[in-house]
Amino acid sequence: MTETVLNVAQSQKIAQPHIEVEHLNLWYGEKQALMNISMQIPKNSVTALIGPSGCGKSTFIRCLNRMNDLIENCRVEGKVSIEGKNIYGTGVDVVDLRKQVGMVFQKPNPFPMSIHDNIAYGPRIHGVSKKDIDGIVEASLRSAALWGETSDRLKSPALSLSGGQQQRLCIARTLAVKPSIILLDEPCSALDPISTSKIEELIMDLKKDYTIVIVTHNMQQAARVSDYTGFFLMGELIEFGQTRQIFHNPRERSTEDYITGRFG
Amino acid sequence: MARERYIKQLDLLKESVVSFGMMVELAFKDSMVAVIDLDVKLAERTLAFEAEVDKLEEGIEVSIFDLLALQQPMASDLRLIVSTLKISSDLKRIVGLSINIAKIPGRIEGGHIKPLIDTKKMADIAADMLENSIKAFETQDVELARATAARDEEVDKIFYAVWVELIEMMAKDTSIISKATYLLFLVRYIERIADHCCNICESVVYLTTAERIKLN
Repeated sequence: MTETVLNVAQSQKIAQPHIEVEHLNLWYGEKQALMNISMQIPKNSVTALIGPSGCGKSTFIRCLNRMNDLIENCRVEGKVSIEGKNIYGTGVDVVDLRKQVGMVFQKPNPFPMSIHDNIAYGPRIHGVSKKDIDGIVEASLRSAALWGETSDRLKSPALSLSGGQQQRLCIARTLAVKPSIILLDEPCSALDPISTSKIEELIMDLKKDYTIVIVTHNMQQAARVSDYTGFFLMGELIEFGQTRQIFHNPRERSTEDYITGRFG
Repeated sequence: MARERYIKQLDLLKESVVSFGMMVELAFKDSMVAVIDLDVKLAERTLAFEAEVDKLEEGIEVSIFDLLALQQPMASDLRLIVSTLKISSDLKRIVGLSINIAKIPGRIEGGHIKPLIDTKKMADIAADMLENSIKAFETQDVELARATAARDEEVDKIFYAVWVELIEMMAKDTSIISKATYLLFLVRYIERIADHCCNICESVVYLTTAERIKLN
């Protein structure tokens, strides 16, 4: 498997990957959930992680901002470097890490406060001065393609927005603290097709400024939005490569079986 | 196994293209016998193929569009669908050329200007190429596809030789120009059929390896 990863890296000549995962293993208690994962993710790219339920893709994405630290009995071995720095090394400030690596979840989870305050929350706790807040709110909502729909109702409760708008708000909230990486864990699975296509457009727009990793069950979505795709199965990264290659001519039989729906 | 119906549809699509190929092979072989023997009756049988072939090709196209629109095929399934679309279009062209060949006997009166020995040899190679390109598709045999396409060179050699011979004959005796022109067309049609076989072989390589190569 390592060889496959290296081949991709070599063919892409990733001199300095934005995210580099080396021999990552993870256990929940006695149960090993990730097995020797290595992957290099280039800057300003979209990487989709696909695989059947329970294959480890969400567990993996949560390793990229140490969200698994919050789970009891969870043990991680190996190395995850972001811009060359091992995030599992000593002296890493996890709060700072999560500022740099933002995350959006399956179910939109706006705070029970106004649209404006949802976005302002992060910058405020990171000590941004009052006079800069409004500018950040506007810029974040614009980047998340939500400004047009909310500029005249910033004081309204965030929970009054539709599901799709709430999810874009969550993306805007993530952008407000100026991350360099955005992790999306099935961000469209609770959304209708129109909201989904808006999020997909947004992902493709955001790529120019951010590195994006998305977990999705929707294979067509992975094919549409991503530059690289990783296929996980039972805790292993079976194949990682350019999305074009994975969906056109996968090297591994199990990848082929999964994406053509022959699995099971 | 999951998606059994879908997989059956794909198998059926492949089978339809193979049957289509066999039918086309028959049409081409009949048209060649008809033109060599100037057998107008046999030629008419080939001409009658056209409607049937159109129906078959249309059926294949409808299945392909349905599969694309409804099943979101990926990877080797997608390659199979794309290849069958291209192959059925090549097969349709071969039928068109066979029909052109079958029209010749009705236009030549009183026998050929020369025995069609090399032309027959050329047509036999093209028929072999057609048979093997379909076989290569059926079995996804890349080696057979490459070997089959390589025979196009033999066809081209005979084509140029016969072409030059016919031009020389016409230069010497202008009274044969009309009949000789039909024979020029004939060798040209056969040469084009061999080219379409090469295209089919290219599709087989793409289907099997995802590589897009030129074999012609």
